[in-house]
Amino acid sequence: MLRREFLSGLGGLIAAPAFAQQKPGFRFTDVTRAAGIHFLHNSGAFGRKYLPETMGSGCAFFDYDGDGWQDILLINAMDWPGHRRRRATLKLYRNNRNGAFTDVTRAAGLDVEMYGLGVAIADYDNDGHPDIFVSCLGQSRLFHNTGRGTFVDVTRSSGLWGHHGFSTSAMWFDYDRDGLLDLFVTNYVRWTQDGDIFCSFDGNSKAYCTPEAYRGVTCWLFRNRGDGTFEDVTAKAGVLDTTSKSLGVTLLDFNNDGWPDVFVANDTQPNKLYTNLRNGRFLEQAVRIGLAFSEDGRARAGMGVDAADVDNSGLVSIIVTNFDNEMMGLYRGTRDGQFVDRAPQSGIGQATRHSLGFGCFFFDPDLDGMLDLLIVNGHIDESISRARRNVTHAQPPHLFMNDGHGNFRDFSRLAGDSFAAPKVARGAAYGDFDNDGDLDVLITTNNGPAYLFRNDLDNGHRSVRLRLIGTKSNRDAIGAVVKFEASGLAGSRTVKSATGYLSQSELPVTIGLGRRDALRRVTVFWPSGRIEEFKNLKAGNRLVIEEGKGLRPDRA
Amino acid sequence: MPPRTPTLIQLLGLLVTLAAVGSFSVFTLRQVEQLRRLGSDIVDRNRRDSLQLIRIQDDVAQIGLALRDMAEGAEPYPLEAYRPQFQRLREDLENALALEARLMPATRTAAQQRLLETVFSRFWSVVDELWQLASEGKPEAAHALIRTRIEAERATLATLISRLLIQNNEAEAAAVEEIQAIHSRVERSLYFLLAAVLAAILITGSLVIWHDRRMFAQVSHLSQQRKELAGRIIRVQEDLFRTLARELHDEFGQVLTAVGMMLLRVEKRLPEGAPGREDLREVREIANQTLDRVRGMSQMLHPPVLDDYGLERSIEWYLGQFEKQTGLRVHYEKSGVAPWIGDSVAIHMYRILQESLNNVVRHARVAEAWVRVRYRPEKMEMEIEDHGVGLPDRPQESGLGMIGMRERAELLGGRIEFQRRSGGGTVVRVEAPLGVKGGKG
Repeated sequence: MLRREFLSGLGGLIAAPAFAQQKPGFRFTDVTRAAGIHFLHNSGAFGRKYLPETMGSGCAFFDYDGDGWQDILLINAMDWPGHRRRRATLKLYRNNRNGAFTDVTRAAGLDVEMYGLGVAIADYDNDGHPDIFVSCLGQSRLFHNTGRGTFVDVTRSSGLWGHHGFSTSAMWFDYDRDGLLDLFVTNYVRWTQDGDIFCSFDGNSKAYCTPEAYRGVTCWLFRNRGDGTFEDVTAKAGVLDTTSKSLGVTLLDFNNDGWPDVFVANDTQPNKLYTNLRNGRFLEQAVRIGLAFSEDGRARAGMGVDAADVDNSGLVSIIVTNFDNEMMGLYRGTRDGQFVDRAPQSGIGQATRHSLGFGCFFFDPDLDGMLDLLIVNGHIDESISRARRNVTHAQPPHLFMNDGHGNFRDFSRLAGDSFAAPKVARGAAYGDFDNDGDLDVLITTNNGPAYLFRNDLDNGHRSVRLRLIGTKSNRDAIGAVVKFEASGLAGSRTVKSATGYLSQSELPVTIGLGRRDALRRVTVFWPSGRIEEFKNLKAGNRLVIEEGKGLRPDRA
Repeated sequence: MPPRTPTLIQLLGLLVTLAAVGSFSVFTLRQVEQLRRLGSDIVDRNRRDSLQLIRIQDDVAQIGLALRDMAEGAEPYPLEAYRPQFQRLREDLENALALEARLMPATRTAAQQRLLETVFSRFWSVVDELWQLASEGKPEAAHALIRTRIEAERATLATLISRLLIQNNEAEAAAVEEIQAIHSRVERSLYFLLAAVLAAILITGSLVIWHDRRMFAQVSHLSQQRKELAGRIIRVQEDLFRTLARELHDEFGQVLTAVGMMLLRVEKRLPEGAPGREDLREVREIANQTLDRVRGMSQMLHPPVLDDYGLERSIEWYLGQFEKQTGLRVHYEKSGVAPWIGDSVAIHMYRILQESLNNVVRHARVAEAWVRVRYRPEKMEMEIEDHGVGLPDRPQESGLGMIGMRERAELLGGRIEFQRRSGGGTVVRVEAPLGVKGGKG
């Protein structure tokens, strides 16, 4: 403990000169109760310590009713067969537009029991209404949004039926750039209730196993045929890999060729980077470009993952959350197409050594135009403190603020007591639920409550929020890259589905401007290949950019 | 006998120590060199090789799992779908094998290495056959190939790799044993070195201490002898002075007195104005003057007052004489009750006073001096102070007089100090014990 404090203090000392401000400039206020969110995750745990129990679950910010206000979806698992105690379902909370939410799960037709883990939301049929994919243990589900506030389970008719797995994170993206969103689903390990293996810290009581105990399974790629059905192209696209034990997935275009690539975080197995070969096939080359392992060549316990242009250089950086006793990975792209893990130098490595990270994402909570990083943590086993000193089941999150020079410093303790309190966190998502221009945070915990934190900004910074609507491109504009310029600030943001671990953040892009008055120029690179440029976007505005139809204020 | 210097012994000890340290250093360096060789050539290399072997083993296991998936039809995909996965594993294996071949430990025989290469190439050629069958749409034949030949080749590979790992472990264990042996050898010789150095230090040290003690004893003996000699010289001098003074007073004094009386008688017999009477008177004057000079000299050599009246009175008498002879004004203070002080204490204190005052006259260039005498039951103290130019900066200039005073004070068993006054001038402070007979004389 002393050593850890000393080292983190040392890290702070080294990083200190770069951080002029000693306050984050905002607070995350716990508004869970005030917002009317009373969610309790039910892992189904009854003492047998089945591996899936400790993995879930995810959450999402999305606007299911198209009213311009972000709604909330919280995924839930359920009791095990033969051990039924209470009914548990996912929860859909509609935004009341006054800071509160209403549970509309039943009315929306989502009142369905399933062993849900993750979620990916997108308008796969381009009808203007976001649809929900819930990754599950067993059969995952696809819910089609009718546009009238209800959802219909279309799993069977969509062709996704019959794919049983231990599905974790999922992501919508248009890998063949045909304007239709395809679905990538990660699977963890080959686990069944009957084939459960006894793992233990002390040889007596059972503990949750690490994935070494189980065989890997392949991820799945489903191509959207455009008629409401999907084709399993896992094999055809060259994505089949039965050695993988995947938990996180993110979209990126690491070689800037306009074709979406896929990064998959694997637990105890090498991470995978599927490079889009532009012909419907992928080539895996994580080892070749330096993303498969830690810098010392070990496969780590990859959990959540996110990718973004963190240093506004146009080169992508990737965060991968790992097990405790491992640093998180912060892979930074280099000009020659390689990646280097800069976690140790950036201030993230040492600070995350004792954390078991799950959800993570790059976002800009202080609206200074630099992407910061949230990592939520929590151990997989509640008895871990007995086996290992210094490691606790509930762990505080990390909120790494970016100084703009590749250095990060953890400001989580200054961002609010409830926010900084230790949690057994899993999923996390961001979204501006109160439409005040800054980003709020949703965090789920394993077998515990979900938390909604409202961002109370006090540094006077403003943003421009852009909602992109594709016409030729997929309607959600997933894969679109927004490049922006303001005085002394330039960077890029990508519209993405999956966020971090099992979760999805809102789709609109928030560009923090600090105290600047306007964005000088915004260039949108649509997935269709179209490039559009807009000038002089005033700070404090919420805008819609529709492909080929220009810019207009967002309603509501 | 001239004292033997300990230099030889010290040099010898140094040589022994240097020899011990030198030979130990040479021995240790040799051992460390061997350790380094063992460490880098065998242990490190072995470990790095083992890491590659484990990587190969892991890949072979992954292949096994994939083969099982394929054989069981665990995934709803055609066999060919596994091809990229196999390709990746093959690339990793080839990379690992190339590294492994570079790190190959010395224990590996050429035959083993050949076997490894052969088994791998056989394995991949069977796997290529598998893809051939799969692409030709012969899944049954392909499945049969997996279950029979491919699995068998994979098992052979796995066994071979395991055997190589075991071999590495054994080589490493042997190296570790050798390293431990070196450590204990070095440890042992370190103890020897310590013992040798300690012995050398002990012997040299005790010899030096013994020698020092002897030297000290000799020095103190010499010093004692010197003191005795000085005392004897002073006593001899005093005896001589006393004898001379008595001779002068008694013999020449009597003769001169008689000469004077006789001259007076002759003079009286001559009539007033007779020739020669004036001459006689002049001769008698000379005789009287000579008598006075002889008496003065006698008193200076050894004042009889010292023997007759003791020190206290002698000091008072001498100070009067001194003032008369030199014109120097002496302020005399006395305190305490003086006992009878005769013999050696008296003569030495008297001489110190005499010498100090003579110094004032000779060097101080002043017209005043102060003499303070304090008598206490157990000792007497005497101070002679002047406000003149003070002591010379360099003590050797103070001459024999001061040395003599010191000797006398020492003979008395007392102390003497020569101090510079802060405002200029000198204070001579002497202390002599009474009651106890000081010195020898």
